[in-house]
Amino acid sequence: MLKYIFKRILIFIPTLIVISLLTFVISINAPGDPVETMLNQNVGGEGRSGEKLASEKTYNEKRKELGFDLPLFYFSFTNKTYPDTLYKIPKKAHRETLQRLSYEYGAWENVSTYYQALRALEFKVFEIMPSDENSSKLRNIKDNLNSLYLTHNENEIKQTIETVEFDIFKDSNIKKTVETDFFELKNSFEHLIYNKEIINRYIPTIHIYGFNNQYHNWISNFIVGEFGISYQDKRPVSSKIFDALKWSMILSILSIIIAYIVAVPLGVKSAVDKGKTSEKIITTGLFLLYSLPNFWIATMLIQYLGDGDGLGWFPTHGLGELPESAPYWDRFFETAYHFILPLFCLTYASFAFISRQMRGGMLNVLEMDYIRTARAKGLKKQVVIWKHAFRNSLIPIITLFANIFPAAISGSFIIEVIFSIPGMGQLTLQAIFQRDYPIVFTVLMFSSILTLVGILIADIMYAFVDPRISFSNKKS
Amino acid sequence: MNLFNLFNRRKNREANTLILQNNNESYWKIVRQQFKKNKIAVYSLRVVFIFIFIALFADFIANEKPLVAKYNGNIYFPVMKEYAVDLGFSDWHDEFRNVSWRGLKYDWVIWPPVPYLPRNIDVSNTWVGPFHDQNVESARWKHWLGTDDLGHDVLAGMIHGTRIALLVGLVSMGIAAIIGIFFGAVAGYYGDEKLKMNIISILLYVIGFILAVFYAFGTRSYALADAIGTSFGSFMWEFLLSILLFVAIIYVFKLIASLAKKLPFKVKEISIPIDILISRLIEIVVSIPQLFLIISIAAVVAKPSIFIVMVIIGLTTWTGIARFTRAELLRIRNLEFIEAANALGYKEWRIIVKHALPNALSPVLIAIAFGIASAILIESTLSFIGVGVPAETITWGSMLSKARAVSSAWWLAIIPGFAIFITVTIYNLIGEGLTDAMNPKLKK
Repeated sequence: MLKYIFKRILIFIPTLIVISLLTFVISINAPGDPVETMLNQNVGGEGRSGEKLASEKTYNEKRKELGFDLPLFYFSFTNKTYPDTLYKIPKKAHRETLQRLSYEYGAWENVSTYYQALRALEFKVFEIMPSDENSSKLRNIKDNLNSLYLTHNENEIKQTIETVEFDIFKDSNIKKTVETDFFELKNSFEHLIYNKEIINRYIPTIHIYGFNNQYHNWISNFIVGEFGISYQDKRPVSSKIFDALKWSMILSILSIIIAYIVAVPLGVKSAVDKGKTSEKIITTGLFLLYSLPNFWIATMLIQYLGDGDGLGWFPTHGLGELPESAPYWDRFFETAYHFILPLFCLTYASFAFISRQMRGGMLNVLEMDYIRTARAKGLKKQVVIWKHAFRNSLIPIITLFANIFPAAISGSFIIEVIFSIPGMGQLTLQAIFQRDYPIVFTVLMFSSILTLVGILIADIMYAFVDPRISFSNKKS
Repeated sequence: MNLFNLFNRRKNREANTLILQNNNESYWKIVRQQFKKNKIAVYSLRVVFIFIFIALFADFIANEKPLVAKYNGNIYFPVMKEYAVDLGFSDWHDEFRNVSWRGLKYDWVIWPPVPYLPRNIDVSNTWVGPFHDQNVESARWKHWLGTDDLGHDVLAGMIHGTRIALLVGLVSMGIAAIIGIFFGAVAGYYGDEKLKMNIISILLYVIGFILAVFYAFGTRSYALADAIGTSFGSFMWEFLLSILLFVAIIYVFKLIASLAKKLPFKVKEISIPIDILISRLIEIVVSIPQLFLIISIAAVVAKPSIFIVMVIIGLTTWTGIARFTRAELLRIRNLEFIEAANALGYKEWRIIVKHALPNALSPVLIAIAFGIASAILIESTLSFIGVGVPAETITWGSMLSKARAVSSAWWLAIIPGFAIFITVTIYNLIGEGLTDAMNPKLKK
């Protein structure tokens, strides 16, 4: 038994690694620049070169602090155009453009020269003191140069360079300062487009980066329990998740308990009464309940029973706004009052599902010979049902226990969003919308782990209930 | 020699037909008979046919353009014409470009039953219910099921939403079935010991797979990404090219591997634990919280599209089908007729596809029926919270979500919600019917 559990836990490790890789891949492909989100500002734009330098410095420092200045993974397997030192370029948008340019023209060194020339020219332009007659031209040049960082289209780049040229040569003062740098840029771009090495796209290459990389740091921090800080309010992810998890857990566990308490006797009864009219009504009702989308029911309940235009019986938003100083029981009842509708929406579907499973299991057992024997030897119907049949029909119900753990995190997702309950669902959805990826990925990893644990526990309980199942020669 | 071959082939064919007859036709006949006994399931199937009809002819039932119209002495079929224009065969006449179809002076005209498209905006009729006084010229233009905040016609939205709901079920379960049946069949048929290969072949296949991924998807990643931005059709085209390239490269390595078999010295053969590998893969996919994953991927995709949602649902729900297929094939592979097929020296793929799979498909059908129900539910949940589905696409879920803003708009809550409920229910009922039909023992 212990050996089996140990083996299963060992098997978890590759599973978890794959899941972590999956979440990591999603996070690095996520749109938006996390460093900019964190700083809440756009680096660049207006200002003198000194300010630009300063803001780029804060950007780089933040980037280093968050660990984004490292290579992504232990190694990379790409085509030869992929720049192996790309991670050293600070801004995400620039990296994307450069990678694409490198792919289009096949020569990273040339792209790199082009990028350096562009940077040099931009700094020169920022050094010029804006005056009345040249300020609009300067702004034009700056905007155009900035757009060069973001495009990989050959014609667009050519056109932008021409516009910049036009603006520069109109003003003698500007021309004097930036002329050499400008020609540098123009030449480097021409060099780039006339020296295509397309063949590089088809040559696979491997770069080894070693252990100091983003994935390694992220996963080792995750293992020791440091989940990072939220990009939005800079609170630690763990404390945000803990706050939210509290409400989700209460909601989910309450709903599961209620569902089982109602569903199990109902399932047994409908199996025993099979064929009666009352049973048919119950079964049909359960089937319909099971198919009712709970977000629809939630919307309808809010409309008709809610405190908006409805009957006003129940609050429909949040968990009540009593201050911390209010008496404990007042706050308790206030929260409980707010819980009624969400709890109902959450419970009815799982309740219908469980009783259908219970009914199926019970029907199977009731057909067994030993039940007939028990009845034949004169035992009371109730005794046979509850003592002989019920225990054996519990097996399918127990497998459902595997769902409890993940349900605690993601089961109440949509209901929480509709009723504005500050639980995991709302936290995750907000995090996704605000691109707050440390939270999203901690939640994803956690619920995956919990699902695995749930499956394991269900397997073990299965063996306890049904001794016929042995672990030694169990396949898969 | 030739004659002998001929004789042999004929014998094979006879044996083959025997195998097929014994194991397929009679079985499916029983299933069909049993299914027909279940009245509710049969009626559900009919409702599905009605939905398919509505989805196919949505453009003729609800459209802003006339079905037939006589205009300036000529007869036009604008709805039909739109298909030709969309497919690039034809172009609009100049007098019909950028016109409001309602405003034209026709000699005579036949409008579709619902003269609106879901995206048509009617500013003089916002938030009107079915029983409210509507600001329309005549009953012909009435919004029979009301409108939403922008005056979108709810009935038109419902009709065109049917198309999306059915498409979600079809596309996502199609993808899931392809992946699930493939993995399930391979895992179940070969198990952990049946697939034997020599080390050189394994090595060649691994290298071939890596290179195939590299050339088909790695170097083409920008082509694929650009195609997503333009249109779904061009993406499918690029994707197909990638798949073809992938298969071609694998095939080249297969040829090389078959050459390696002819090496003079003996190479050690080892069995590949393909069942363990696929079972692990299934466990990984199952343990990822599906809704969270779909939402985070949908939020990451730069340009949201309903097709991306369908693909993601398909990629995350194939595990059920794979499990069923695997379990069935584990049972079937030890049956006599598979042994017979083996003894006749058929290729293994042929045995799997022609003999084993047709007998394993019944539980897969059940999984697909329930899968369609849950796919529709997931899609409507996503459009309800507004993730992954573009704002201009009007689906049942997105219509339902508008009811949250104004709680007096009961028609926006009841009608789309009821449609989702009915669709999910009938697919569940069909699933139940199939389950009963295939396990007549449980029925009694």
